Amino acid sequence: MKTTKSTHLSAVILASLAMGTGLASFAASAQETYTVGIESSFPPWAYVEGGEYKGIAIDAMEKIADEADIDIEFKDMPFPSLIPALAAEKIDMLATGLTVTEERSKAIDFTIPWWETNDVVVVPKDSDLNVFTAVCCGSKIGVQGGSSQQAWLEENIVNPGNIDIELARYDSYVTAVDDMAIGRIGAVIVDDTSAQEYIEAGKPVKIAGKIYIRAPLALAVSKGDPQEVLGKLNQGILAIYESGEWQDIVHNYIPNITIPTIPGNMPDYVDTYQKPIVGLPDLGNE
Amino acid sequence: MDIYDVLLRDFPFLLKGLGVALVLLALLLVMGFILGLAICMIQLYGPRSRFIQWPLIAYERVFRGIPIIIMLFIFYYGMSGLLDITSFGAAVLALGFRSSAYQSQIFHSAFQSVPAGQMMAARAVGMSRVKAIRHILFPQAARHAIGPWTNEFSSEIKETSLAYVIGVVELTRQAHYIITSTQGNVLTVFAVVALLYFIVNRAGNSALYAFEKKLAVPGFEK
Repeated sequence: MKTTKSTHLSAVILASLAMGTGLASFAASAQETYTVGIESSFPPWAYVEGGEYKGIAIDAMEKIADEADIDIEFKDMPFPSLIPALAAEKIDMLATGLTVTEERSKAIDFTIPWWETNDVVVVPKDSDLNVFTAVCCGSKIGVQGGSSQQAWLEENIVNPGNIDIELARYDSYVTAVDDMAIGRIGAVIVDDTSAQEYIEAGKPVKIAGKIYIRAPLALAVSKGDPQEVLGKLNQGILAIYESGEWQDIVHNYIPNITIPTIPGNMPDYVDTYQKPIVGLPDLGNE
Repeated sequence: MDIYDVLLRDFPFLLKGLGVALVLLALLLVMGFILGLAICMIQLYGPRSRFIQWPLIAYERVFRGIPIIIMLFIFYYGMSGLLDITSFGAAVLALGFRSSAYQSQIFHSAFQSVPAGQMMAARAVGMSRVKAIRHILFPQAARHAIGPWTNEFSSEIKETSLAYVIGVVELTRQAHYIITSTQGNVLTVFAVVALLYFIVNRAGNSALYAFEKKLAVPGFEK
Protein backbone atom coordinates (compact mmCIF):
# COMPACT_ATOMS: atom_id res chain seq x y z
CA MET A 1 0.00 0.00 0.00
CA LYS A 2 2.78 2.35 0.95
CA THR A 3 4.65 1.83 -2.32
CA THR A 4 1.56 2.27 -4.49
CA LYS A 5 0.77 5.53 -2.83
CA SER A 6 4.22 6.99 -3.33
CA THR A 7 4.20 6.02 -7.01
CA HIS A 8 0.85 7.77 -7.35
CA LEU A 9 2.34 10.80 -5.73
CA SER A 10 5.42 10.91 -7.97
CA ALA A 11 3.20 10.49 -11.04
CA VAL A 12 1.22 13.52 -9.92
CA ILE A 13 4.39 15.53 -9.40
CA LEU A 14 5.72 14.52 -12.81
CA ALA A 15 2.45 15.50 -14.44
CA SER A 16 2.46 18.88 -12.76
CA LEU A 17 6.06 19.48 -13.84
CA ALA A 18 5.14 18.58 -17.40
CA MET A 19 2.24 20.99 -17.17
CA GLY A 20 4.45 23.78 -15.90
CA THR A 21 7.02 23.43 -18.66
CA GLY A 22 4.25 23.06 -21.22
CA LEU A 23 2.71 26.36 -20.18
CA ALA A 24 6.06 28.08 -20.21
CA SER A 25 6.97 26.96 -23.70
CA PHE A 26 3.51 27.87 -24.97
CA ALA A 27 3.97 31.31 -23.52
CA ALA A 28 7.24 31.97 -25.34
CA SER A 29 6.19 33.04 -28.82
CA ALA A 30 8.52 34.55 -31.36
CA GLN A 31 7.48 37.93 -32.75
CA GLU A 32 8.88 37.27 -36.23
CA THR A 33 5.63 35.51 -37.10
CA TYR A 34 2.50 37.62 -37.02
CA THR A 35 -0.65 36.05 -35.63
CA VAL A 36 -3.68 36.70 -37.80
CA GLY A 37 -7.01 36.30 -36.02
CA ILE A 38 -9.81 34.82 -38.09
CA GLU A 39 -13.37 33.62 -37.49
CA SER A 40 -13.34 30.39 -39.43
CA SER A 41 -17.02 29.65 -39.27
CA PHE A 42 -17.90 32.52 -41.56
CA PRO A 43 -17.95 31.44 -45.21
CA PRO A 44 -17.08 32.71 -47.75
CA TRP A 45 -14.60 34.88 -45.83
CA ALA A 46 -13.03 32.17 -43.67
CA TYR A 47 -14.01 28.58 -42.95
CA VAL A 48 -12.50 25.12 -42.46
CA GLU A 49 -12.98 22.31 -44.92
CA GLY A 50 -11.20 18.97 -44.56
CA GLY A 51 -9.04 20.38 -41.78
CA GLU A 52 -7.75 23.33 -43.81
CA TYR A 53 -8.47 27.03 -43.58
CA LYS A 54 -10.17 28.32 -46.70
CA GLY A 55 -11.93 31.48 -47.78
CA ILE A 56 -11.39 34.88 -49.36
CA ALA A 57 -9.76 36.39 -46.28
CA ILE A 58 -7.39 33.40 -45.86
CA ASP A 59 -6.20 33.29 -49.47
CA ALA A 60 -5.91 37.07 -49.74
CA MET A 61 -4.05 37.35 -46.43
CA GLU A 62 -1.50 34.78 -47.62
CA LYS A 63 -0.94 36.75 -50.81
CA ILE A 64 -0.63 40.01 -48.89
CA ALA A 65 1.91 38.39 -46.53
CA ASP A 66 3.96 37.26 -49.58
CA GLU A 67 3.75 40.77 -50.96
CA ALA A 68 4.82 42.36 -47.66
CA ASP A 69 7.45 39.65 -47.02
CA ILE A 70 6.17 38.76 -43.56
CA ASP A 71 5.41 35.38 -41.96
CA ILE A 72 1.93 34.81 -40.66
CA GLU A 73 0.02 32.13 -38.80
CA PHE A 74 -3.75 31.97 -38.43
CA LYS A 75 -5.49 31.83 -35.07
CA ASP A 76 -9.17 30.94 -35.05
CA MET A 77 -11.60 32.44 -32.54
CA PRO A 78 -15.34 33.07 -32.40
CA PHE A 79 -16.19 36.50 -33.82
CA PRO A 80 -17.18 38.23 -30.54
CA SER A 81 -13.72 37.34 -29.09
CA LEU A 82 -11.70 38.68 -32.03
CA ILE A 83 -11.87 42.44 -31.50
CA PRO A 84 -11.13 42.14 -27.74
CA ALA A 85 -8.19 39.84 -28.62
CA LEU A 86 -6.84 42.42 -31.06
CA ALA A 87 -7.38 45.26 -28.58
CA ALA A 88 -5.49 43.22 -25.92
CA GLU A 89 -2.75 42.45 -28.51
CA LYS A 90 -3.28 38.69 -28.19
CA ILE A 91 -3.32 38.66 -31.99
CA ASP A 92 -1.47 41.03 -34.32
CA MET A 93 -4.06 41.50 -37.02
CA LEU A 94 -7.58 40.53 -37.93
CA ALA A 95 -8.64 39.17 -41.31
CA THR A 96 -12.29 38.19 -41.68
CA GLY A 97 -15.47 39.73 -43.07
CA LEU A 98 -15.04 42.70 -40.75
CA THR A 99 -17.27 45.76 -41.22
CA VAL A 100 -15.75 49.18 -40.52
CA THR A 101 -17.78 51.03 -37.88
CA GLU A 102 -17.20 54.16 -35.83
CA GLU A 103 -17.25 52.29 -32.47
CA ARG A 104 -14.78 49.66 -33.70
CA SER A 105 -12.45 52.31 -35.11
CA LYS A 106 -12.00 53.63 -31.56
CA ALA A 107 -10.70 50.23 -30.35
CA ILE A 108 -8.69 49.04 -33.37
CA ASP A 109 -7.03 50.51 -36.49
CA PHE A 110 -8.47 49.63 -39.91
CA THR A 111 -6.59 49.09 -43.16
CA ILE A 112 -7.99 50.58 -46.37
CA PRO A 113 -11.35 48.95 -47.22
CA TRP A 114 -11.12 45.86 -49.42
CA TRP A 115 -14.82 45.16 -49.80
CA GLU A 116 -18.13 46.95 -49.68
CA THR A 117 -21.58 45.68 -48.81
CA ASN A 118 -24.93 47.29 -49.44
CA ASP A 119 -28.29 46.45 -47.97
CA VAL A 120 -31.09 44.98 -50.03
CA VAL A 121 -34.83 44.74 -49.59
CA VAL A 122 -35.80 41.07 -49.79
CA VAL A 123 -39.44 40.10 -50.47
CA PRO A 124 -41.21 36.78 -51.13
CA LYS A 125 -40.61 35.43 -54.63
CA ASP A 126 -44.28 35.79 -55.66
CA SER A 127 -44.64 39.30 -54.23
CA ASP A 128 -45.22 42.30 -56.50
CA LEU A 129 -43.81 44.81 -54.00
CA ASN A 130 -40.95 46.99 -55.23
CA VAL A 131 -38.31 48.85 -53.28
CA PHE A 132 -40.69 51.80 -52.66
CA THR A 133 -43.89 49.93 -51.80
CA ALA A 134 -42.11 47.33 -49.63
CA VAL A 135 -40.81 49.87 -47.12
CA CYS A 136 -43.85 52.08 -46.50
CA CYS A 137 -47.51 52.24 -45.82
CA GLY A 138 -47.81 50.25 -42.60
CA SER A 139 -45.65 47.34 -43.71
CA LYS A 140 -43.77 45.18 -41.25
CA ILE A 141 -40.02 44.88 -41.91
CA GLY A 142 -37.78 42.14 -40.48
CA VAL A 143 -34.20 42.78 -39.32
CA GLN A 144 -31.68 41.07 -37.09
CA GLY A 145 -31.65 42.67 -33.64
CA GLY A 146 -28.53 44.76 -33.04
CA SER A 147 -27.53 44.70 -36.70
CA SER A 148 -26.33 47.68 -38.70
CA GLN A 149 -29.50 47.33 -40.80
CA GLN A 150 -31.68 47.88 -37.73
CA ALA A 151 -29.66 50.96 -36.81
CA TRP A 152 -29.92 52.33 -40.34
CA LEU A 153 -33.69 51.84 -40.53
CA GLU A 154 -34.27 53.43 -37.13
CA GLU A 155 -32.12 56.41 -37.94
CA ASN A 156 -33.43 57.05 -41.44
CA ILE A 157 -37.01 55.79 -41.52
CA VAL A 158 -38.53 54.98 -38.13
CA ASN A 159 -37.31 57.96 -36.09
CA PRO A 160 -38.10 60.72 -38.65
CA GLY A 161 -41.64 59.31 -38.47
CA ASN A 162 -42.91 60.39 -41.88
CA ILE A 163 -42.93 56.86 -43.30
CA ASP A 164 -45.20 54.39 -41.54
CA ILE A 165 -43.38 51.07 -41.01
CA GLU A 166 -43.03 48.67 -38.13
CA LEU A 167 -39.77 46.85 -37.31
CA ALA A 168 -39.71 43.17 -36.32
CA ARG A 169 -36.42 42.12 -34.68
CA TYR A 170 -35.16 38.54 -34.91
CA ASP A 171 -32.11 36.85 -33.47
CA SER A 172 -30.95 35.73 -36.84
CA TYR A 173 -31.69 36.59 -40.43
CA VAL A 174 -32.52 32.98 -41.19
CA THR A 175 -35.54 33.14 -38.83
CA ALA A 176 -36.57 36.50 -40.29
CA VAL A 177 -36.57 35.10 -43.82
CA ASP A 178 -38.51 32.00 -42.72
CA ASP A 179 -41.06 34.21 -40.95
CA MET A 180 -41.51 36.20 -44.14
CA ALA A 181 -42.24 32.96 -46.01
CA ILE A 182 -45.08 32.28 -43.53
CA GLY A 183 -46.42 35.78 -44.18
CA ARG A 184 -45.96 37.45 -40.79
CA ILE A 185 -43.78 40.19 -42.23
CA GLY A 186 -43.70 41.78 -45.70
CA ALA A 187 -39.99 42.31 -46.27
CA VAL A 188 -36.54 41.75 -44.79
CA ILE A 189 -33.62 44.16 -45.02
CA VAL A 190 -30.25 42.42 -45.07
CA ASP A 191 -26.80 42.84 -46.63
CA ASP A 192 -26.46 41.86 -50.29
CA THR A 193 -23.90 39.06 -49.80
CA SER A 194 -26.21 37.21 -47.36
CA ALA A 195 -29.28 37.79 -49.59
CA GLN A 196 -27.41 36.22 -52.49
CA GLU A 197 -26.72 33.16 -50.33
CA TYR A 198 -30.42 32.75 -49.39
CA ILE A 199 -31.39 32.83 -53.04
CA GLU A 200 -28.68 30.33 -53.96
CA ALA A 201 -29.76 28.06 -51.07
CA GLY A 202 -33.20 27.91 -52.73
CA LYS A 203 -35.23 30.00 -50.28
CA PRO A 204 -38.40 31.42 -51.98
CA VAL A 205 -37.24 35.05 -51.94
CA LYS A 206 -36.11 37.74 -54.37
CA ILE A 207 -34.37 41.08 -54.14
CA ALA A 208 -36.76 44.02 -54.63
CA GLY A 209 -34.09 46.69 -54.53
CA LYS A 210 -30.86 47.96 -53.08
CA ILE A 211 -30.12 50.54 -50.40
CA TYR A 212 -26.79 51.99 -51.33
CA ILE A 213 -25.04 52.47 -47.97
CA ARG A 214 -21.52 51.41 -49.02
CA ALA A 215 -20.51 49.72 -45.75
CA PRO A 216 -16.76 49.08 -46.00
CA LEU A 217 -15.03 45.88 -44.89
CA ALA A 218 -11.34 45.94 -43.98
CA LEU A 219 -8.49 44.23 -42.16
CA ALA A 220 -7.47 45.61 -38.79
CA VAL A 221 -4.48 45.87 -36.44
CA SER A 222 -4.23 46.80 -32.75
CA LYS A 223 -4.87 50.47 -31.93
CA GLY A 224 -1.81 52.61 -32.58
CA ASP A 225 -0.27 49.89 -34.80
CA PRO A 226 2.33 48.67 -32.25
CA GLN A 227 3.83 46.18 -34.74
CA GLU A 228 4.16 48.89 -37.43
CA VAL A 229 2.58 46.63 -39.99
CA LEU A 230 -0.44 48.71 -41.09
CA GLY A 231 1.50 50.34 -43.94
CA LYS A 232 2.62 46.96 -45.29
CA LEU A 233 -0.95 45.66 -45.20
CA ASN A 234 -2.32 48.74 -46.98
CA GLN A 235 0.32 48.38 -49.72
CA GLY A 236 -0.32 44.64 -49.94
CA ILE A 237 -4.09 45.04 -50.38
CA LEU A 238 -3.61 47.57 -53.16
CA ALA A 239 -0.89 45.42 -54.80
CA ILE A 240 -2.98 42.25 -55.04
CA TYR A 241 -5.93 44.31 -56.34
CA GLU A 242 -3.81 45.92 -59.05
CA SER A 243 -2.18 42.62 -60.06
CA GLY A 244 -5.58 40.92 -60.43
CA GLU A 245 -4.87 38.25 -57.79
CA TRP A 246 -7.62 39.64 -55.55
CA GLN A 247 -10.21 39.34 -58.34
CA ASP A 248 -9.19 35.69 -58.94
CA ILE A 249 -9.48 34.85 -55.26
CA VAL A 250 -12.92 36.45 -54.88
CA HIS A 251 -14.28 34.83 -58.05
CA ASN A 252 -12.99 31.49 -56.85
CA TYR A 253 -15.43 31.74 -53.92
CA ILE A 254 -18.24 33.90 -55.32
CA PRO A 255 -18.38 33.52 -59.12
CA ASN A 256 -19.94 36.36 -61.12
CA ILE A 257 -19.90 38.92 -58.33
CA THR A 258 -19.09 42.52 -59.16
CA ILE A 259 -15.92 43.41 -57.28
CA PRO A 260 -15.83 46.84 -55.61
CA THR A 261 -12.86 49.04 -56.42
CA ILE A 262 -10.02 49.31 -53.90
CA PRO A 263 -9.73 51.61 -52.04
CA GLY A 264 -13.47 51.98 -51.67
CA ASN A 265 -15.55 54.30 -49.55
CA MET A 266 -13.44 55.54 -46.61
CA PRO A 267 -15.68 57.07 -43.90
CA ASP A 268 -14.45 60.30 -42.25
CA TYR A 269 -14.84 58.95 -38.72
CA VAL A 270 -12.00 56.44 -39.13
CA ASP A 271 -8.75 58.13 -38.05
CA THR A 272 -6.50 55.85 -40.11
CA TYR A 273 -8.28 57.12 -43.25
CA GLN A 274 -6.99 60.66 -42.74
CA LYS A 275 -4.50 61.75 -45.36
CA PRO A 276 -1.71 60.61 -45.49
CA ILE A 277 -2.70 56.95 -45.09
CA VAL A 278 0.15 54.82 -43.67
CA GLY A 279 2.00 53.16 -46.55
CA LEU A 280 -0.10 54.96 -49.18
CA PRO A 281 0.60 58.67 -48.59
CA ASP A 282 -1.26 59.84 -51.71
CA LEU A 283 -4.58 58.55 -50.43
CA GLY A 284 -6.91 59.60 -47.64
CA ASN A 285 -9.53 62.06 -46.55
CA GLU A 286 -8.47 65.71 -46.38
CA MET B 1 -21.17 15.44 -50.95
CA ASP B 2 -23.79 14.72 -48.30
CA ILE B 3 -23.26 15.33 -44.61
CA TYR B 4 -22.39 11.71 -43.81
CA ASP B 5 -19.55 11.73 -46.35
CA VAL B 6 -18.31 15.01 -44.89
CA LEU B 7 -18.49 13.58 -41.37
CA LEU B 8 -16.58 10.50 -42.47
CA ARG B 9 -13.94 12.61 -44.21
CA ASP B 10 -13.60 15.01 -41.29
CA PHE B 11 -13.84 12.42 -38.52
CA PRO B 12 -10.07 12.47 -37.90
CA PHE B 13 -10.37 16.22 -37.17
CA LEU B 14 -13.17 15.59 -34.70
CA LEU B 15 -10.89 13.05 -33.01
CA LYS B 16 -8.08 15.59 -33.01
CA GLY B 17 -10.44 18.04 -31.30
CA LEU B 18 -11.37 15.35 -28.81
CA GLY B 19 -7.64 14.81 -28.16
CA VAL B 20 -7.21 18.51 -27.35
CA ALA B 21 -10.21 18.32 -25.02
CA LEU B 22 -8.76 15.26 -23.26
CA VAL B 23 -5.32 16.83 -22.73
CA LEU B 24 -7.04 19.94 -21.37
CA LEU B 25 -9.18 17.74 -19.11
CA ALA B 26 -6.18 15.78 -17.79
CA LEU B 27 -4.17 18.92 -17.01
CA LEU B 28 -7.04 20.75 -15.32
CA LEU B 29 -7.96 17.74 -13.20
CA VAL B 30 -4.36 17.20 -12.07
CA MET B 31 -3.98 20.89 -11.26
CA GLY B 32 -7.34 20.92 -9.47
CA PHE B 33 -6.38 17.77 -7.56
CA ILE B 34 -3.07 19.11 -6.25
CA LEU B 35 -4.37 22.57 -5.35
CA GLY B 36 -7.71 21.25 -4.07
CA LEU B 37 -6.05 18.74 -1.78
CA ALA B 38 -3.65 21.39 -0.49
CA ILE B 39 -6.51 23.83 0.21
CA CYS B 40 -8.49 21.14 2.00
CA MET B 41 -5.48 20.15 4.15
CA ILE B 42 -4.84 23.74 5.22
CA GLN B 43 -8.53 24.33 5.90
CA LEU B 44 -8.84 21.23 8.07
CA TYR B 45 -5.43 20.82 9.68
CA GLY B 46 -3.53 24.06 8.97
CA PRO B 47 -3.10 27.07 11.25
CA ARG B 48 -6.43 28.53 12.39
CA SER B 49 -5.20 32.08 11.78
CA ARG B 50 -7.77 34.09 9.82
CA PHE B 51 -4.99 35.53 7.63
CA ILE B 52 -4.65 32.03 6.20
CA GLN B 53 -8.22 30.73 6.45
CA TRP B 54 -10.13 33.73 5.09
CA PRO B 55 -8.25 34.05 1.80
CA LEU B 56 -8.83 30.34 1.21
CA ILE B 57 -12.56 30.72 1.83
CA ALA B 58 -12.63 33.76 -0.46
CA TYR B 59 -10.74 31.86 -3.17
CA GLU B 60 -13.08 28.91 -3.01
CA ARG B 61 -16.23 31.11 -3.02
CA VAL B 62 -15.01 33.23 -5.95
CA PHE B 63 -13.98 30.33 -8.16
CA ARG B 64 -17.17 28.42 -7.45
CA GLY B 65 -19.35 31.49 -7.88
CA ILE B 66 -18.30 32.92 -11.23
CA PRO B 67 -19.41 31.42 -14.57
CA ILE B 68 -16.60 29.57 -16.31
CA ILE B 69 -16.97 31.54 -19.52
CA ILE B 70 -16.15 34.76 -17.64
CA MET B 71 -13.17 33.04 -15.95
CA LEU B 72 -11.87 32.05 -19.37
CA PHE B 73 -12.06 35.67 -20.59
CA ILE B 74 -10.41 36.98 -17.41
CA PHE B 75 -7.50 34.55 -17.70
CA TYR B 76 -7.05 35.07 -21.43
CA TYR B 77 -7.45 38.85 -21.77
CA GLY B 78 -6.92 39.98 -18.19
CA MET B 79 -3.54 38.32 -17.71
CA SER B 80 -2.03 39.61 -20.95
CA GLY B 81 -0.30 42.44 -19.05
CA LEU B 82 1.48 40.00 -16.73
CA LEU B 83 2.13 36.99 -18.89
CA ASP B 84 2.06 36.25 -22.61
CA ILE B 85 -0.36 33.39 -22.12
CA THR B 86 -1.71 31.19 -24.91
CA SER B 87 -5.36 30.26 -25.32
CA PHE B 88 -4.61 26.74 -24.16
CA GLY B 89 -2.60 27.91 -21.16
CA ALA B 90 -5.37 30.31 -20.12
CA ALA B 91 -7.96 27.54 -20.44
CA VAL B 92 -5.89 25.17 -18.26
CA LEU B 93 -5.47 27.84 -15.58
CA ALA B 94 -9.09 29.05 -15.57
CA LEU B 95 -10.55 25.55 -15.52
CA GLY B 96 -7.84 24.19 -13.21
CA PHE B 97 -8.28 26.89 -10.54
CA ARG B 98 -12.01 26.47 -10.69
CA SER B 99 -11.74 22.71 -10.43
CA SER B 100 -9.44 23.10 -7.40
CA ALA B 101 -12.18 25.04 -5.60
CA TYR B 102 -14.68 22.26 -6.29
CA GLN B 103 -12.23 19.47 -5.51
CA SER B 104 -11.22 21.11 -2.21
CA GLN B 105 -14.86 20.79 -1.13
CA ILE B 106 -15.03 17.15 -2.24
CA PHE B 107 -11.92 16.32 -0.18
CA HIS B 108 -13.18 18.46 2.69
CA SER B 109 -16.33 16.42 3.10
CA ALA B 110 -14.45 13.15 2.49
CA PHE B 111 -12.02 13.90 5.33
CA GLN B 112 -14.82 15.08 7.59
CA SER B 113 -16.70 11.83 7.02
CA VAL B 114 -13.90 9.99 8.85
CA PRO B 115 -14.94 9.92 12.54
CA ALA B 116 -13.06 12.56 14.55
CA GLY B 117 -12.13 10.02 17.20
CA GLN B 118 -9.70 8.35 14.81
CA MET B 119 -7.37 11.33 14.78
CA MET B 120 -7.47 11.45 18.58
CA ALA B 121 -6.80 7.71 18.81
CA ALA B 122 -3.87 7.95 16.40
CA ARG B 123 -2.40 10.83 18.37
CA ALA B 124 -2.95 8.87 21.60
CA VAL B 125 -0.84 5.95 20.35
CA GLY B 126 1.93 8.40 19.55
CA MET B 127 1.54 9.12 15.80
CA SER B 128 2.36 12.63 14.62
CA ARG B 129 -0.46 14.61 12.93
CA VAL B 130 1.15 14.17 9.51
CA LYS B 131 1.53 10.43 10.04
CA ALA B 132 -2.05 10.15 11.26
CA ILE B 133 -3.36 12.00 8.21
CA ARG B 134 -1.24 9.97 5.83
CA HIS B 135 -1.85 6.48 7.26
CA ILE B 136 -5.20 6.69 9.02
CA LEU B 137 -7.34 9.49 7.53
CA PHE B 138 -6.20 9.67 3.90
CA PRO B 139 -6.84 6.00 2.96
CA GLN B 140 -10.40 6.25 4.27
CA ALA B 141 -11.12 9.73 2.91
CA ALA B 142 -9.81 8.75 -0.55
CA ARG B 143 -12.38 5.97 -0.73
CA HIS B 144 -15.16 8.38 0.18
CA ALA B 145 -13.96 10.97 -2.33
CA ILE B 146 -14.14 8.80 -5.46
CA GLY B 147 -17.94 8.86 -5.71
CA PRO B 148 -18.31 12.67 -5.66
CA TRP B 149 -15.16 12.95 -7.77
CA THR B 150 -16.92 11.16 -10.69
CA ASN B 151 -19.26 14.18 -10.71
CA GLU B 152 -16.33 16.54 -11.02
CA PHE B 153 -14.90 14.46 -13.88
CA SER B 154 -18.23 14.42 -15.70
CA SER B 155 -18.81 18.13 -15.43
CA GLU B 156 -15.25 19.12 -16.35
CA ILE B 157 -15.18 17.08 -19.59
CA LYS B 158 -18.24 19.06 -20.66
CA GLU B 159 -16.79 22.39 -19.47
CA THR B 160 -13.82 21.93 -21.82
CA SER B 161 -16.29 22.53 -24.65
CA LEU B 162 -16.40 26.20 -23.64
CA ALA B 163 -12.67 26.75 -24.19
CA TYR B 164 -13.33 27.52 -27.85
CA VAL B 165 -14.49 31.03 -26.89
CA ILE B 166 -10.86 32.00 -26.28
CA GLY B 167 -9.58 30.17 -29.33
CA VAL B 168 -8.85 26.61 -28.20
CA VAL B 169 -9.77 24.43 -31.16
CA GLU B 170 -11.31 21.50 -29.31
CA LEU B 171 -14.09 19.12 -30.25
CA THR B 172 -16.98 21.63 -30.25
CA ARG B 173 -15.05 24.08 -32.42
CA GLN B 174 -14.18 21.33 -34.91
CA ALA B 175 -17.91 20.61 -35.06
CA HIS B 176 -18.64 24.29 -35.80
CA TYR B 177 -16.25 24.06 -38.73
CA ILE B 178 -18.22 21.21 -40.26
CA ILE B 179 -21.56 22.92 -39.62
CA THR B 180 -20.57 26.21 -41.20
CA SER B 181 -18.68 24.81 -44.16
CA THR B 182 -21.72 22.69 -45.06
CA GLN B 183 -24.18 25.54 -44.24
CA GLY B 184 -26.32 23.53 -41.84
CA ASN B 185 -26.70 20.00 -40.41
CA VAL B 186 -26.55 21.28 -36.85
CA LEU B 187 -28.38 18.32 -35.37
CA THR B 188 -26.47 15.60 -37.22
CA VAL B 189 -23.05 17.00 -36.42
CA PHE B 190 -23.80 17.75 -32.78
CA ALA B 191 -25.34 14.29 -32.35
CA VAL B 192 -21.98 12.78 -33.34
CA VAL B 193 -20.15 15.18 -31.01
CA ALA B 194 -22.53 14.40 -28.14
CA LEU B 195 -21.89 10.70 -28.68
CA LEU B 196 -18.11 11.26 -28.45
CA TYR B 197 -18.45 13.22 -25.18
CA PHE B 198 -20.79 10.55 -23.86
CA ILE B 199 -18.35 7.71 -24.64
CA VAL B 200 -15.49 9.50 -22.88
CA ASN B 201 -17.71 10.29 -19.93
CA ARG B 202 -18.91 6.71 -19.57
CA ALA B 203 -15.41 5.27 -19.99
CA GLY B 204 -13.98 7.63 -17.36
CA ASN B 205 -16.74 6.99 -14.88
CA SER B 206 -16.56 3.23 -15.36
CA ALA B 207 -12.83 3.34 -14.67
CA LEU B 208 -13.41 5.40 -11.53
CA TYR B 209 -16.14 3.07 -10.26
CA ALA B 210 -13.86 0.08 -10.93
CA PHE B 211 -11.12 1.84 -8.95
CA GLU B 212 -13.59 2.48 -6.12
CA LYS B 213 -14.52 -1.19 -6.09
CA LYS B 214 -10.90 -2.26 -6.08
CA LEU B 215 -10.08 -0.04 -3.11
CA ALA B 216 -13.15 -1.12 -1.15
CA VAL B 217 -12.32 -3.11 1.98
CA PRO B 218 -14.69 -6.10 2.13
CA GLY B 219 -16.97 -5.95 5.14
CA PHE B 220 -15.81 -2.46 6.13
CA GLU B 221 -18.33 0.41 6.21
CA LYS B 222 -21.09 -1.62 4.60
